[in-house]
Amino acid sequence: MAGSFFPRAIAFGLWLLLVGSSQSGFAQDWIKTGTGLGVERIRIAVPEFKASNQDPRNGELLKTFNDTLWSDLNNAGIFDMVSKSFYPLGQIGAPSDVKFEVWNSPPPNAAMLVFGNVGASANTQTVQGWLYDVKNTQSPQVLGKQYTDAANTQAARTIAHKFADEIIFRLGGGINGVAETQIFYVSSRGGRKEIWAMDYDGANQHPVTTLGTISLSPHISPDGSRLAFSSFTGSGWEIRMFSFDLNRLVQFPRFGSTNLSPSWSPDGSRLAFSSSRSGDPEIYTVDQSGGNLHRITNSHGPDVSPVWNRKTGTEIAWVSGRTGLPRIYTMGIDGTNVQELTDQGYAVSPAWSPNGQFLVFSWMRHYGPGAPGSQDIYIMDVASKQWAQLTHDGGRNDFPAWSPDGRHIVFQSNRSGSLQIWSMLADGSNPQQLTSSGSNSEPDWSWK
Amino acid sequence: MASGEIFFEHERWGRNLAWSAGLHVGFALAVVGYAWLAGQSHGSNWGAGGGGSAMGVSLVSNIPLPANPVQTTNVLANESKGVATSKPEPQVEEPNAIPIADKNTKKKPTPQPTATKRKPTPTPVEEATNVVPFGEGGPVSGPYAMFSTGAAKGGFGFNGGGGDFGSRFAWYVRVVNQKVSENWLKYEVDPRIHEANRVYLTFDIDRGGRASHVQIEQSSGVPSLDQSAVRALERIDTFGPLPADYPGNHVSVEFWFDYKR
Repeated sequence: MAGSFFPRAIAFGLWLLLVGSSQSGFAQDWIKTGTGLGVERIRIAVPEFKASNQDPRNGELLKTFNDTLWSDLNNAGIFDMVSKSFYPLGQIGAPSDVKFEVWNSPPPNAAMLVFGNVGASANTQTVQGWLYDVKNTQSPQVLGKQYTDAANTQAARTIAHKFADEIIFRLGGGINGVAETQIFYVSSRGGRKEIWAMDYDGANQHPVTTLGTISLSPHISPDGSRLAFSSFTGSGWEIRMFSFDLNRLVQFPRFGSTNLSPSWSPDGSRLAFSSSRSGDPEIYTVDQSGGNLHRITNSHGPDVSPVWNRKTGTEIAWVSGRTGLPRIYTMGIDGTNVQELTDQGYAVSPAWSPNGQFLVFSWMRHYGPGAPGSQDIYIMDVASKQWAQLTHDGGRNDFPAWSPDGRHIVFQSNRSGSLQIWSMLADGSNPQQLTSSGSNSEPDWSWK
Repeated sequence: MASGEIFFEHERWGRNLAWSAGLHVGFALAVVGYAWLAGQSHGSNWGAGGGGSAMGVSLVSNIPLPANPVQTTNVLANESKGVATSKPEPQVEEPNAIPIADKNTKKKPTPQPTATKRKPTPTPVEEATNVVPFGEGGPVSGPYAMFSTGAAKGGFGFNGGGGDFGSRFAWYVRVVNQKVSENWLKYEVDPRIHEANRVYLTFDIDRGGRASHVQIEQSSGVPSLDQSAVRALERIDTFGPLPADYPGNHVSVEFWFDYKR
């Protein structure tokens, strides 16, 4: 199977990528193969929803709803969307309109059918949506939902996100979809580098901070209530904390010198960050309130970019320059049991997957004079240390971060000419540019 | 002329033969031994009273059996009567027969179950009009499914809900299939193994979607393969909640893994 491509058949298990590629050692070629093959994506048909009444606002609401629902399901990474050109004529607004035989046989040959209706009346809109297993004519209904909200396009978008997430939750094996998640990042479009936020699909981009200085490395807390980042204060770089409940900065102690890249423990009780208060940068942990400071590394050379194991909360991966060029290491949260994960090149920006199994990081595998110098995103199975390359499209790719469902990775790349935020599926497929205005970097994905 | 011995590799079967003979003898001894032991314990007292306790039995007009909450359309297990009716044998009265006076003169009226005591059967869910007539729908989609992953294969069967879980909730079966195969890391299997016997796992999925009671039903004989199958299940936090209209509180799954490198 080596050398062949099965992008369709790869069902999200990056785990799968690891199987083939690493056995070839340091060979240049890369293959996509593994244990997930043969389990195909679910073929799903999503005909446009129908207007349930004659209200003139329905047209606008339907367009927003239909576009958002299609995009959310298409981005989920678990569906094979049946092309609209295969759909039979006539709209489906209710279960009685479903003709199973035209959907479950070619050309649509769909396994699942999503349909429903949207109708505005007075100040509200009502959306009814169904998910049908059209191959199962005896008991086809998997899901039936009704939503009521204000009659505007923003609410139509929210309803579409919620319905898409319900479908993804059912058919994706109990993993919540990401349609309602947010991405936080650094943007210089206003002149200074400030922290910005946007929806997972790049919509709704808006600033979070307006400090007028330089702010970097945003990290959202697991419950989504606070944002830790580092900011230049005149005397040095300090950890700052923004509260979404209060919609302002809240008190956080200043440790002096350079303090960077705060990262949350999965229970939200502690932060890890790098501080050079004692000389060269070392890793510290601290309570979320700023007390109880502990230093957990003690070596020559810089130790930076700590991230917690998001599943167990008992390990930290970080970047250390103790042997020269930066490499990725893991250790227990007390600093014991140090393991080296990369053995060559220039590796930075680790991020731990939500299931605790994988690290993604940015790696220049061949670094130095004469080396090609491309910087790409890699994924590594922490237990076996098998790795695979995820980006192949040139440019410098850095700061990968995981979506909460473990199916997507967001990162920064200058492949389009300027530094922008991109997302891709966790097997490296389906890259999408999310930002285009100004320079945008260091993305972080909300935990839910 | 070149020649070569093509049957140079003799199978060494002496060891296997010894095993076979040994096991046969062992089995025969076990049968004889069991018969002897069983005879001992029964002695001559079997069937004698004692040891038990009295139990009250009272007659009721009918037993409120739990009704099937959803009328399923599984052709093999529904409550509708078949279309083929057998004709009852006509009662022929013998014209010359003289009734025996002592017997059958008084017939006690058999108590009829009163309508009030009967549990109302729930109104059956209306069937879709596009039901495929029996015999015209191709093979019944049973509760078994298969998957193949590269060179390895697996499959599984579901139990629960009157045996038609797999056909009613095929989409859920598919989710289980996908999650297990995604989480099965073949590199955990000893690289020296190229082919192994099928390993069977059983586990339960509770209403919340969590797998429990993961057990190796039948080992492949390769510990690392057995372990990789169990670990695939352990990696899965949830399969997602069981379908809302499924009445049971768990389903049991048998999952098999065929490994071939």
